Amino acid sequence: MAPPFVPADLIGRVTRDVERSALRARNGVRYVRGTHRPKLGVTPKDVVWRRGRAQLWRYRGGPVRHGPPVVIVHSLVSRSYILDLRPGTSTIEYLLGAGLDVFMLDWGVPDERDADNTLETYVDGHLPRALAAVRRETGATEVTLAGYCLGGIMAMLYAAGPNGSDVRNLVLMATPIDFDAMGPMVAALREGRLEVEDLLDETGNVPADALYSGFYMLAPTTEIAQKATLLEHLWNDEFVEAYQAMGQWTRDHVPFPGAAFRQVVQQLVRENVLTTGAIRLGDRVVRLGDVRAEVLVAMAERDGVVPAGATEPALGLVGDPRRRHALYLPGGHVTFGAGKAARRHTMPRLTQWITSHSDARPDPEEAGCKSAASSPQTSPPSNGSWRGSPSTIGPS
Amino acid sequence: MSRPLWLEVVHKVERTIGEPVESAVRSDTYFDVVARVTRARRKGINLVEGVSRRCLHLVNLPAGTDLRRVREQLGRIERRLDEITDELAGG
Repeated sequence: MAPPFVPADLIGRVTRDVERSALRARNGVRYVRGTHRPKLGVTPKDVVWRRGRAQLWRYRGGPVRHGPPVVIVHSLVSRSYILDLRPGTSTIEYLLGAGLDVFMLDWGVPDERDADNTLETYVDGHLPRALAAVRRETGATEVTLAGYCLGGIMAMLYAAGPNGSDVRNLVLMATPIDFDAMGPMVAALREGRLEVEDLLDETGNVPADALYSGFYMLAPTTEIAQKATLLEHLWNDEFVEAYQAMGQWTRDHVPFPGAAFRQVVQQLVRENVLTTGAIRLGDRVVRLGDVRAEVLVAMAERDGVVPAGATEPALGLVGDPRRRHALYLPGGHVTFGAGKAARRHTMPRLTQWITSHSDARPDPEEAGCKSAASSPQTSPPSNGSWRGSPSTIGPS
Repeated sequence: MSRPLWLEVVHKVERTIGEPVESAVRSDTYFDVVARVTRARRKGINLVEGVSRRCLHLVNLPAGTDLRRVREQLGRIERRLDEITDELAGG
């Protein structure tokens, strides 16, 4: 039976539609003009170490309630502000709010000076020095090392190496292990339909626009649906801001250093060596089973860039089998830093795992310190007493 | 909240067009074309750079390729300096 006609409802709906139309017009003009773009990656931070284009940032937060410090190793192909996208939807902000001391190793924007950089440059050169800087800054002897995407590979190779004993926890976020399970662009490189030399530019690196085109061409028409959805929600300031932030990050890639790219294509893509559990790095063989840390393998169920199937083999290869943990998250590749699923699932669950594998420090409030940090939406246990079982943390 | 009808239609149309396009861009032919276009583009850039380099050198000015080479050398010097710094710090 149809609901009875109520004139007040009709007036209410008309009023709402008129108001939304006015807001759509205002936001539409702002969007087209490119004004009112959200500021991205704004959590205050200090540069505590740098080498070449690489920088180590220490985020300013409130009192530190958990140790060891968390060091995030970012990918080589994208911008690290995905993990600090906007205030209120920032993974960094969430970790700080939980009382963690957070560092980010950002590789910067490579140019011709970085064309000779190999994986060894990052894993054996930059990473140990950046971690030494963390130790100097904090006095800590151990770290929680978290790598995102290709950054996870570098974090893992470091943790499996001779200096890896200072890694207490290793968090692999959307980290590819089985490159046979990756998307069509990787398949084209594997099968030789695309050659490395085809993709390098005059600087000796893979240009950022080639990487953007590669990701864009995975689903070239989805932008139509996205733009239509934007039009529908144009009245909603929050939606428009989130859309612009995501759009900017998606288009904002960085060049991939040529020598590292050659290595990735040959060893990781064509030989798929990580699935064997060992990789040659310089004059040594790194065995993934040599990782001594607690390992969290976090993967997104709808990740179209690094499918969960490409990450899952880490659960059988990295570290001690009794110290491996799986975290399946709803959402796509960016669920580690953006979107509703990130706020509802990724940030709380990732933070909870880290704090539960960290030591609680004396509550600074009790010691008379005043918190300057913003609180996260949900707080993990602050005493570090929670211990997850060494098993899968499934989706809720 | 459910999507309005017009948006449903746009999404359906997008998928109707998108699925064949996505399968096309995963094909061998697509990657062959990409490789050819990339090589042709590089040849074109090299040609233009060669001409402009000769013109600039005629008037004794550095070309972009010269600057690039200098930056590459700077990169090598930078790396060597880092190594020396580390050696000194370690020693």
